[in-house]
Amino acid sequence: MERRVVITACSSITPIGRTKEEIIHSLVNGISGVKTLREDGLLSSHIHSKVFGTVDYPVSYDFKRQHRKTMGPVAYYACQVAKEVIGAAGLDQGFVTSGRLGVAFGSTHGSPTVQRDIYRTFFGASQNDFSTIGAVDYLKSMVHTTAVNITKMFGITGRVISSCTACTTSSQSIGYGYEAIKYGMQDAMLCGGADEYDTTTVAVFDNLLACSTAFNDTPHLTPRPFDTMRDGLVVGEGAGAVMLEEYGYARKRGAPMLAEVIGFACNNNGGDLILPNLNGIKETIRIGLKDARINADEMDLISAHATGTKMGDVIEAQAIYDVYGNLPGVVGLKSYMGHTMGSCGAIEAIIAIYLMEEGFIAPTLNLDEIDERCAMINHVVKLREQPVRIATIQNFAFGGVNTSLIIKKMS
Amino acid sequence: MTRDEIITQILHFFRKEFEIENPGLDDNLREKHGFDSIDAIELLLKIEKMLGYELTQEEKKQAMDIRTINQICDYIESLTRTRPVLSGGEAGLT
Repeated sequence: MERRVVITACSSITPIGRTKEEIIHSLVNGISGVKTLREDGLLSSHIHSKVFGTVDYPVSYDFKRQHRKTMGPVAYYACQVAKEVIGAAGLDQGFVTSGRLGVAFGSTHGSPTVQRDIYRTFFGASQNDFSTIGAVDYLKSMVHTTAVNITKMFGITGRVISSCTACTTSSQSIGYGYEAIKYGMQDAMLCGGADEYDTTTVAVFDNLLACSTAFNDTPHLTPRPFDTMRDGLVVGEGAGAVMLEEYGYARKRGAPMLAEVIGFACNNNGGDLILPNLNGIKETIRIGLKDARINADEMDLISAHATGTKMGDVIEAQAIYDVYGNLPGVVGLKSYMGHTMGSCGAIEAIIAIYLMEEGFIAPTLNLDEIDERCAMINHVVKLREQPVRIATIQNFAFGGVNTSLIIKKMS
Repeated sequence: MTRDEIITQILHFFRKEFEIENPGLDDNLREKHGFDSIDAIELLLKIEKMLGYELTQEEKKQAMDIRTINQICDYIESLTRTRPVLSGGEAGLT
């Protein structure tokens, strides 16, 4: 049994805005959400990259203490967007708690902020006999903290999937949620990812010489996917959530339908844990197209992973060209907000929906001079008004994990 | 510490840490105020800070059946009978 899966609500917290209107405004006007890295009193002074995709506006929460007590910053993000998609989808409480709704939600590594507090407790123990880890610290910091704080807050009793595959975290969430509904295991899945402000991740990429450092004084000019001047990725923060529902159920209850998920693929390069792999990425793209039962020439928009690293962009451009040729428009949305890690797949999927709804493709920001090794594909360098019927969101993670998610505009 | 001082301290904890305002001294904290096992562990940490010493595993386990503010006060009184508050404890500090 294969069932159709539709997206009935979405919500995000991004460095370029909260609402659809704010995000579209940033895309149309070329506004970057990359800002100067904040001093954190621990790692920031040792990090060469001084830029971060920052959520610098207030996000208001009205969670009761009963829920707040097990939440670190990343769970606040997750529960807020989850709350908004449950509300926007219009699912009633009886359904939410029925077991027919599951959750697929993850983050890169839980809450690093809370983990730092735990380590402070460890290292401070010799001076304080009753210092110990707080009862809730694990619940706040554990890697599946986003998913289970969502289930707790809303009484969700269906299956729980909590991917933690860094850059592919939330594209896996949506993909595995889609499969759970498609094959009849759940009737709806709340899917997404979140990552909080965290310098640990910046330090990791910085040590690998993968972070942007040449634009520390002009943060808005980096990252620069596919550009000759690109010098690495920019880590960011954010959250994104979508509600997936079985098409027949959504139609019956008159739910809003924003797009249909028609294909998903996930594979592994089967080798190196860091280097991008042309064959692995091409295979992911091909499996996704096969799952969606469409031909490559039907694709209108490619939301590329496009982190702005030297090699990653070249390999991805080659993979896109080998499978799609130079027809579909290609945009690297991380150029606007940096790499929001565990939330990037969901945020990029949500923005792809917005572009479908608005009928244009946003240009890749900071793409002033295309690297000739990336030039064989159809880069969007200025806003292009065109209908977008089918879009794909590509994400690739440390560990050699690749995903391809394909969505289609509702007809 | 007198019984009244303990009650004052505990009610302060409940208001500040658990956002539970003026619970009845014999209220079932779980049923009436949603005070759960996580909160109980957090409360034990507060009690340790109040007394100025670390509780043993056995002493902590004895607290797991506590359901009311009065039972919390009984528990603290029983602890202070065998081990008085140490000078580094936060008893009296609200």
